[in-house]
Amino acid sequence: MAFLTPLLLLLGLLAIPIIIMYMLRLRRQEVVVSSTMLWNQLTRDREANALWQKLRRNLLMFLQLFILGLLVLALARPYLRIPSVVNRSVVVLLDGSPSMQATDTADVSNYPTRFDAAKDEVNRLIRSLSGGNQMTIIQVGAVPEVLAAATGDKNRLFEVIESAQPDSAPADWGAAFALASGAAQGFRDARVIIVSDGGLPADLPPLPPDTAYVPVGVSGENLSVSALATRRGEDKVELFTAVTNHGRVNQNAILSIGIDGQLFDARELFVPAGETVDLTWDLGDDLSIVQAVISSAEFDHLEVDNTAIAVHEGGITSKALLVTDGNIFIEQIFSVLPGLESFKTPTDTDLSESIATNQFDLYVFDGTRLPDPLPAADMLIINPPLDPSPTALIQTTAVVTGTQNTAAIRLTDSPLLQFVDWSGVSIRQMKTVEAPWAQSLVESASGPLILTGEQNGQRIAIVSFALQDSDLPLQVTFPILMSNLTDWLNPGRAFRVPDGLQPGDVVPLVPGATSTGIVVQKPDQTSWTANASESEILFTETDQPGLYVVGLVEGEDIQTAGAFAVNLFAPQESAIRPAEGLTLGATEISAGAGDDIGRYEFWIWLAIIAFVALLIEWWIFHRGTRIPDWRKINLQPLLNRLRN
Amino acid sequence: MLFDESTLRKLEQLALVADKVRAGVMKGDRRSSKRGTSIEFADYRNYVRGDDLRRLDWNVYARLEKPFIKLLEEEEDLSVHILVDGSLSMNWPLNDETNKFDYAVRLAGALGHVALAAGDQLTISLLNSTENRAWGPYRGQQNSLRLFNFLEEAAEATGITELNLSLSNYALRSRRPGLLFVITDLMSPAGYQDGLSALQSRGYEVGVIHLLSPDEIDPPLDGDFKLIDAETGVESEVTLDATTLREYRERVLGWQAEVAEYLGGRGAHYVPVITDQPWDQLVLQTLRQRGVLR
Repeated sequence: MAFLTPLLLLLGLLAIPIIIMYMLRLRRQEVVVSSTMLWNQLTRDREANALWQKLRRNLLMFLQLFILGLLVLALARPYLRIPSVVNRSVVVLLDGSPSMQATDTADVSNYPTRFDAAKDEVNRLIRSLSGGNQMTIIQVGAVPEVLAAATGDKNRLFEVIESAQPDSAPADWGAAFALASGAAQGFRDARVIIVSDGGLPADLPPLPPDTAYVPVGVSGENLSVSALATRRGEDKVELFTAVTNHGRVNQNAILSIGIDGQLFDARELFVPAGETVDLTWDLGDDLSIVQAVISSAEFDHLEVDNTAIAVHEGGITSKALLVTDGNIFIEQIFSVLPGLESFKTPTDTDLSESIATNQFDLYVFDGTRLPDPLPAADMLIINPPLDPSPTALIQTTAVVTGTQNTAAIRLTDSPLLQFVDWSGVSIRQMKTVEAPWAQSLVESASGPLILTGEQNGQRIAIVSFALQDSDLPLQVTFPILMSNLTDWLNPGRAFRVPDGLQPGDVVPLVPGATSTGIVVQKPDQTSWTANASESEILFTETDQPGLYVVGLVEGEDIQTAGAFAVNLFAPQESAIRPAEGLTLGATEISAGAGDDIGRYEFWIWLAIIAFVALLIEWWIFHRGTRIPDWRKINLQPLLNRLRN
Repeated sequence: MLFDESTLRKLEQLALVADKVRAGVMKGDRRSSKRGTSIEFADYRNYVRGDDLRRLDWNVYARLEKPFIKLLEEEEDLSVHILVDGSLSMNWPLNDETNKFDYAVRLAGALGHVALAAGDQLTISLLNSTENRAWGPYRGQQNSLRLFNFLEEAAEATGITELNLSLSNYALRSRRPGLLFVITDLMSPAGYQDGLSALQSRGYEVGVIHLLSPDEIDPPLDGDFKLIDAETGVESEVTLDATTLREYRERVLGWQAEVAEYLGGRGAHYVPVITDQPWDQLVLQTLRQRGVLR
């Protein structure tokens, strides 16, 4: 036992005046009375009580000395040294990464997952938080979140821990460490405690030197689907899958492949410890969503990486209508552009039916007059015929010939011209096109060569010359330009998804020209909705692994535009073996809370005992020598009242 | 002066009551149980040889032809003794209106005046160990002034009084017993019972007027004290709290009841008096109610 403020023990010297006052009090005051005859009788009678009298007087003194002693002890703030993690302010980093959902805890019945066990560890830290010290709790997720900032309110801390939920996205430890460093600077002599199962990346910002690591989890056995991808081959689709055993035990498992919700195949696997098994399937052409699930493994403590989903691109395409009398360049390029299914029709076809039914997402008009009414879709207009009418969408006023006149003199700095090299392009004949709503991408001395713009919510691109009248289709830059233009026109494809989406990644969604909103159905069947007010909408709620189905709101209807999958292909999360220590920069942190010695202060108990002693002293002083006769206490009225 | 004129007039209306017959030496105003020579008829008895023939009732003899002696009541004076306890314990509370000795002297004056006015023989004595100052015996109202002067000069309480001893001595010395009042606080550790018995055996009719001051009934004390007896100097240590004081009060009342029972059993008057009671109220009301005065 030691004292925080031992100097206050000097207040114990107050016992001296108390004793002196008692000694003075014992020197009785002398009083003359008429006769002591009656008093003598009284004192004779009371001699039987003399011992009690003396005791009582001394008892009062002893009680007062006792109370003084207790109060002085309490003021000196005694404490016991107990092994503890927390004897100062603490910044707790609570790992909320997917690996914390592993079910290998020491006490599975009470704490089914590592995250539950970690919460229990944090609760233990909160309980041992001594008075005056504060705690900051940061949950480390894809976006680290400060659950409680510098508070000593234990109830509040317990509440935030109770409501904490693990994250499905890999944790951003760098950001969490930056937050923790900032929080630790707010305290004097703070301690950072990482409650985690390890798996921290190597390049992390430094933490305060006094950092402790409390590990959770006991096992490392885990199987995961570490890869799932489709590839279009000739007449078929190839499926590639990898299953990794992250543990130390060879395992058997069943890998089931489902296609569009139907079980396609199931294979029994033998996965040696620490190895990856690759598997391939040849699938038919007509498929969109492939799901791979591992089951029946003997030791598999992490569920979230047992399922992977792939969306086959061939499944969802946009339709383009080429209105041309025959243009080999256009037909060829549109047959190879990904995500587009192209159809061809002669220029004299009546387009009114397909326009009325919104059958196509993109119209390509090659050297032909625009239909009336215009289709409500994106358009690529190549070599428009002469039409100087001021009411037309575009005014084509003149034909210009001569490569000198048609040489490009200015290229706009636009992403549509990325990787486009116009230096070798020669044009024999072009048309002077005016479209005030459009922006000129490539301009010659006689007018714009390529224009892009939006009109009535439709994206329109104009090429003011016939492809046959230039050597552009023979240049390497032609497919690049066409790809850029069709990507921009991008009819019907509401999103462009990079492969291998991880939880927490951002998906840009592009509403179609006629859609008024976007609806995303998440794996847990909840929906996310956005208005198509902007040309590109960012979807950020990819925190759950699984399949996300994107729908476009077209008036009253919702048309499915496609789907994308989010998979936890994160080896550092699947390798769930808890780290025995952490390496942060040059510092090795071993598991355990460290050798900190906590202080358990118990002055409050001393104060309570002193108060009780004060009550007893008061009672003895006032009640005098008699112990109350409980038999004489009449409880009847009280009982009657209780009965009523 | 102890009393003003109007009080004296009131006192003169009163007379002391003695239940038993005292042997008076002089003709007085009081009827005696002795058959005597007054004109008041008392009784008849048979004539026996040697009776004074002058007292034969001839009228009865004529009618009945038997000799009867006519007994007449004797009227005699009363010998009144007033003993004032002059011990130091009576001089309490000091310098206070409720001083017991002042009260006792005033009461003695009043009773003495009543006695003198009624033609009784009065003796007043001051009891204490050093000297027994006495006044009397005198009779006649004309001596009232001298009585008051004596009392005013003697108004000082000193020394120790052993009630038993003083009363016994008084009983031995006295030549003419009569009605005797003791005005005392009875605070004599050896007691008063033997002295009382001695007086009663000599034929005194005794009345005890027991004075206690208010602070003796209800002491204004709280705490630890060493009490010093004003009379004897004896010390006594007590711790006073609410309980002790309550017990003390019970004890004082019990003591008074004890004294009353003892004296009542012996045919003596007992009048307990607390000295904050106005003395004229005591004389004119309480003592009359108690049958001491009429």
